Amino acid sequence: MNMSKVMFGFFVLLAVTLNFGFFIGDIDNPQHHDVYELFAALVVGLIATVLKFGERSQMGAILLASSLVVNLHLIAAVIVWAVAVHVTGTGLTPKVMASIVSLSGGALLANLVSLVLLTLDTAGLSRR
Amino acid sequence: MSNPANSSLVFLFLRRMRLPLTVLILAYSIATLGFTLIPGVDDQGNPWKMNFFEAFYVVSYTGSTIGFGEVPYDFSPGQRLWTMVSIYLTVIAWLFSIGSIISLLQDPAYRRALRRVRLARQVRDLDEPFYLVCGYGDTGRMLTRALTDRGHQVVVVEHNQDKIELLEVEDFEATVTAFCMNANLPDNLVEAGLRSRWCSGVIAVTGEGHVNLKVAISAKLLNHKVAVYASADTRSEAENMRSFDTNHVVNPVEEYQRRLELAIDKPDLFRLYHWLNSGPHARLARHVAIPHGKWIVCGFSRVGRAVWQLLQERQMQVVVIHPDPEQSGCPPGTVPGRGTLAEELSAAGVEGAVGIVAATGDDADNLSILITARALNPGLFHVVLENGLSSHALFRAAEPDFLGQPSSVVAGTILSRISSSLVEPFTRHLLQQDNDIARQALAGFLRHQSDHPPQLSSGRISAKRTPALARALQAGSVITVGKLLADPRDWQQRLQLEVVFIRRQQQDILFPDDDFPLAMGDRLLLAGRDGEADRLRAALENDERLEYVLTGRDRQQGLVWRWLERHSG
Repeated sequence: MNMSKVMFGFFVLLAVTLNFGFFIGDIDNPQHHDVYELFAALVVGLIATVLKFGERSQMGAILLASSLVVNLHLIAAVIVWAVAVHVTGTGLTPKVMASIVSLSGGALLANLVSLVLLTLDTAGLSRR
Repeated sequence: MSNPANSSLVFLFLRRMRLPLTVLILAYSIATLGFTLIPGVDDQGNPWKMNFFEAFYVVSYTGSTIGFGEVPYDFSPGQRLWTMVSIYLTVIAWLFSIGSIISLLQDPAYRRALRRVRLARQVRDLDEPFYLVCGYGDTGRMLTRALTDRGHQVVVVEHNQDKIELLEVEDFEATVTAFCMNANLPDNLVEAGLRSRWCSGVIAVTGEGHVNLKVAISAKLLNHKVAVYASADTRSEAENMRSFDTNHVVNPVEEYQRRLELAIDKPDLFRLYHWLNSGPHARLARHVAIPHGKWIVCGFSRVGRAVWQLLQERQMQVVVIHPDPEQSGCPPGTVPGRGTLAEELSAAGVEGAVGIVAATGDDADNLSILITARALNPGLFHVVLENGLSSHALFRAAEPDFLGQPSSVVAGTILSRISSSLVEPFTRHLLQQDNDIARQALAGFLRHQSDHPPQLSSGRISAKRTPALARALQAGSVITVGKLLADPRDWQQRLQLEVVFIRRQQQDILFPDDDFPLAMGDRLLLAGRDGEADRLRAALENDERLEYVLTGRDRQQGLVWRWLERHSG
């Protein structure tokens, strides 16, 4: 029972699930997408990325790459939200909401790739 | 091809930063979240909560200890409480992260790895021929200095950190890249640039023969084109190195033997050979006549044994002084002791001896033997072995008659061979000559210079290297050695240069006469003042200059002038 592997798997899975939770719902309805969940998805995503640092294997490299993509998308979503609501005063129009949710959708895809790779890695280990 | 060491440094850094970064992210996110949840009051007294944007803004300038103030409205007590929590959380997280970074950068292993990556990159970026010197003792230092003075780049591999630090503060004429690693490992040699196409030579002069052997083998196997010069401690090591086609193997003991033998049998040849093979700053030895009679040898080391054998073969009586006669296989009649005490020397018969050899492994002992023996018998001939150059001033002050320095012997022999591949056959032929020829040759050199030894260089007469000379030879003119050595600036004068050796397919000619004719394909070995060989080479490339050198006629250059010259008579 490797504690660091438990932590690693926990954070990766948590990142995927929070991201999915935010994404699901009507793409242009602000009621369906809670800002706290976006916040949580971003924070856990960042932590998951940091945990993937320093891996030398090919698998580790792709995992890190996919994590960085997730962070990119989520940070972009946060910036769109902040700029639309606080800076330009546009507010959460359906168009803005749709942009935010699409960006989080992209992040979700990258998270899924991460999850699949993690599963493959685990499956590979168990065969040995 | 990515450099594994380089990326491993980055990975090491990232791994160490995992915990600090996680702590930082958590601290900021907890603080931000708290601010969005804790209720405040706006300027009208209505309840108000911060949104994420404002919360992150506040946390940002709190965590970086800037502290603008309470925006947009004054904080409620709850918010102020949370501000306190944020301050301690974020500032401590920052201190922890920065502390981790600093401790990693100060880690000696990390800094060494960083240094090696930087050096490896420096070696990869070398685009000039360089020499790889393994071992930075006295010999390595002398070689590095001589090679850089000639303008070659040098890469040094040395195990001892102190010697590397010494190297870094020295000022060299060319770039010297120094690696602090063990030359015994072939991977290290590859990292130091062994496989680079610019590596012209590998010189293995660490203090240990078996390491030199390993370096010689690795060099020849990993890079066929490189020339390898190595120093061997024992005969078996030397043979082993030669079996791997090492270009030149120097065995200091054999060199001493050879030089002492020459000094006894052919003193002028000894002076010439010693002058040419002791480095670029060697002085010509004085005329010394080694006396015949009874000799005392102190220290039955490899050198001591070689000298003993040498003297015995010349029918001289030799008494040995050695600390432990039975253990070391000393000959019968050996006096036990080190030779530093007057009683030991008297027991060996120093009063009736003609010469003494101080060949122990300790410099202080050797000096002591010298001084004690001189006190007992002022007319004694002293041969002293100097083991390390650190006491050199003392040895010079003691003025022995014959001083043996291992580092200059090894370095000098290697340096002369590096100058040209013709030096090896030249030396072989030279050592077979008798004393008179050597004396003549020495007189020839002394006409040009006496302060430091002649510079050796070689060249081939071919259409590519010396086009003008090749054309002249093909046209049928007879060009002799003497004619070639006229000064390109003044035909009546002679260059301060000698042609000492010519190699042709069928024959080797040592010290050719001035009227010896040259042919196409000849390889010449030149010896003379620095720079003279380059002047000769320049003359051999240009038709007009060559004609001036050969005949003294100053031909006009350029079509117009030549047409005018032809038509004016």
